[in-house]
Amino acid sequence: MLSILGGLLALSVGAGFVGALSGLGGGVFIVPALVILAHVPMYVAVGASLISVVATSAGASVAFVRDGWTNLHIAMVLECATVTGAVIGAYMAGLIPVWVLELLFALMMLQSAYFSLRKKGDDLLPKGCRIAERLELGGELPNPGAAEIHYGVTNLPGGFALMVVAGLMSGLLGIGSGALKVMAMDYIMHIPLKVSSATSNFMIGVTAGAGALVFLARGDVATVIAAPVAIGVTAGALTGSRILPYADVRWLRMGFVVILVLIAIEMGWRAMTGV
Amino acid sequence: MRAEEEDRILRVWTPVILRTVLAAAAIVLILGLIAMATVPGEYVDHFRAVQDNDRVKDYGNFLSLLIRAWHGNPRSIMTLGLMILTLVPLARVAFCLMFFIKSRNKAFVIFTAYVLAGLAVGVMLGRIG
Repeated sequence: MLSILGGLLALSVGAGFVGALSGLGGGVFIVPALVILAHVPMYVAVGASLISVVATSAGASVAFVRDGWTNLHIAMVLECATVTGAVIGAYMAGLIPVWVLELLFALMMLQSAYFSLRKKGDDLLPKGCRIAERLELGGELPNPGAAEIHYGVTNLPGGFALMVVAGLMSGLLGIGSGALKVMAMDYIMHIPLKVSSATSNFMIGVTAGAGALVFLARGDVATVIAAPVAIGVTAGALTGSRILPYADVRWLRMGFVVILVLIAIEMGWRAMTGV
Repeated sequence: MRAEEEDRILRVWTPVILRTVLAAAAIVLILGLIAMATVPGEYVDHFRAVQDNDRVKDYGNFLSLLIRAWHGNPRSIMTLGLMILTLVPLARVAFCLMFFIKSRNKAFVIFTAYVLAGLAVGVMLGRIG
């Protein structure tokens, strides 16, 4: 038992650690690790990953919420979109052939790799679109000891639409879809990158929770896999987030892009050949 | 109540909810793993069954799951831990819903109620299969 459990915990701690350092979350790495290395069926890996994503999101969100980086009002509006997508996605995951899921996973890996390379600076708007202003979605960047910097939120419908897609991918593939969520908030809604990342991380818990509930209620969560994975990924993510401030992010990012492309190739190959 | 005041209150209570439910889930999960370690072969057998694509429902209904967990069944204890873990987002959204009802913020009452309803639909869809 100890060798299997130890191996599973090591894989999970590693996935959580790399997920935290890359900013992509543990789900992106634990699903392929379980499928390729632990020889676990895809739907079991997806169910276990969804649960671990809930845990890491909750653990990492505490500091971001407390320090004011998470925009709670934006999160609650956009969660309507992600939950809709996640419930549909998790339900469909039980019906869609495995090779389609593997192919989608490979495409999401490439999207995450592209996103990692394209991260840009902030483009702050003093005022947002009418609907965002009415819902008071704009906020202030935490800036202790200095003048507050206000940011507005624009193109809420566009961001909302992309969030449905992010939720759908999360439910289907067991990932947090953080890269897609940050992309929607940063590029489309012009929310500052750090606020986008913190808010995305916060929302991931509800998105993955919606999917995890479908899997749990269906009895598709293998407890012997999901329990150690949840504990391991959370421990790895917490360690990774402590090391992150001292790491050279530029080189790390290049390394992760290579890993993501390799995973995409492996998952794509499995989808095409059925191996 | 203004958005800034709402934000201040939510920023205090949301981390408390997240931390409390997460800690409860972690304790139950670790207890389940320890319980499983005391039964020789139990973990390995189930792991191999999962690898062989043997779909095993881990619980029938919630009451029977609770009874089995109470009697020390390792898998039931772990399933209970995983259920508590999925309560993290549910508890947080439920708190926000009650908060927005109290502060009479109609738009956000609708948003949070929709999210809660979505999570409930997820459970129902899962039970249907």
